[in-house]
Amino acid sequence: MTALTAAIANLKGGVGKSTTTVMLADGLAFYYGMNVLVIDLDPQANSSQMLLTERGVQAASDQGKGVHHVLASFMEGKTPSAAPFIMPNAVTLEELRRAEENDERLGWISSLPSHPHLRLRELSLEEEWYSRSGTPTTLSDALARFFREAFEPLLPLYDVILLDCPPHLSPLARAGLLLADAFITPTIADSVSTWGTKQFSDWVGKFIAPDLPGRNFVVVTRFRDTKYARSVASDLREIYLKDRWFGPTIPESIHVLNAMDRAAPDSYDTFRGKYAGVSSDVRRLAERFTDFMTQRTGGTWAKVRD
Amino acid sequence: MGEGPGLTPVEYLDRFFDELRAEVRSNPVLAARLVKALGGNVVFEDAAKADVASPYALATGPKANFMSVFGAMKLGDIKKVLKENNLASRVDMNGKSAAQLVEMMYERAAMKVQERKSSMF
Repeated sequence: MTALTAAIANLKGGVGKSTTTVMLADGLAFYYGMNVLVIDLDPQANSSQMLLTERGVQAASDQGKGVHHVLASFMEGKTPSAAPFIMPNAVTLEELRRAEENDERLGWISSLPSHPHLRLRELSLEEEWYSRSGTPTTLSDALARFFREAFEPLLPLYDVILLDCPPHLSPLARAGLLLADAFITPTIADSVSTWGTKQFSDWVGKFIAPDLPGRNFVVVTRFRDTKYARSVASDLREIYLKDRWFGPTIPESIHVLNAMDRAAPDSYDTFRGKYAGVSSDVRRLAERFTDFMTQRTGGTWAKVRD
Repeated sequence: MGEGPGLTPVEYLDRFFDELRAEVRSNPVLAARLVKALGGNVVFEDAAKADVASPYALATGPKANFMSVFGAMKLGDIKKVLKENNLASRVDMNGKSAAQLVEMMYERAAMKVQERKSSMF
């Protein structure tokens, strides 16, 4: 087993990157028993908050866990290593917790969380790097080399590594994109988001992945079922991104918002309890992405739960 | 504008407020929203507590006030408040007594308020 690394990215904010990250992590772990690592590269730390709660994110940081600590080890010239900075348990689903308790692990989620301090640390790194005549590009490349080496020992341990990227091209975000085997692009069915997918696609295609279309998985999120939205979503599939893989359309729903608000760091819920009215959407997201993974890697995954 | 050409502006307003009074009597959620909008304190009555009382708002004050509102609630209503305010899943609530659930409600609501309230105020 060697993990597929997928960057969840879009240059536009507010398109559901973190929500898609968490839904996909839950869906893959729950239905396919995959071992998932979520790496949060966004200083807003939203996917970390959704998995661990605000208190959990702070506690992780206090324990020396998180991407900002990995960045610190880069700045201190230490040997690349990510494992010590990972929160091994970012599971929120009762079924996964109970199986683990019975020594029958069937799907798991770990987290290399973010923290708002990440942006401050990144700024400090940038100032230092640029003062030594470095450039954003050389910094991105150096970070990507460091992370590649740091993550190398993790690849056999996971089925999939999800990189939740921020909605801008900071050196850290660019490093994340450089590490990715695949690119998941959440977007919204409106004109400004459609334009945003073009900007993202053009930039990544030019600077990161010339073969982007075959490596790009698109998810239309926060979908309000109106004639206008149906038309925009259809144009995305049929015209603007017709050569990409598409996941299911995720509806705008109070169930999604509720599912992302974990009650407490020690709170668990069943899959159906957590996702309620969008359970079938999360299942289809996992199924479709697993098909995409099979096409990308040649690996196959069987469902462990219905 | 109205069907009675003889009505005065005061009579129109009386009819409007009569309708509002009737709605407020039968709709405690609306009543609480209106009173809050006017800057008043909402006094919770048993039947309406589960629909009206906000554990987050009450967790900002003394714990005794919180307990006086939620501590006397029936188990079903406590579970409803916990679920509707995203303070506990069904799994979290399993096998817990009303007293344990109210304690959980207070701890989690107070924790979320502490985490989310700006320290500037």
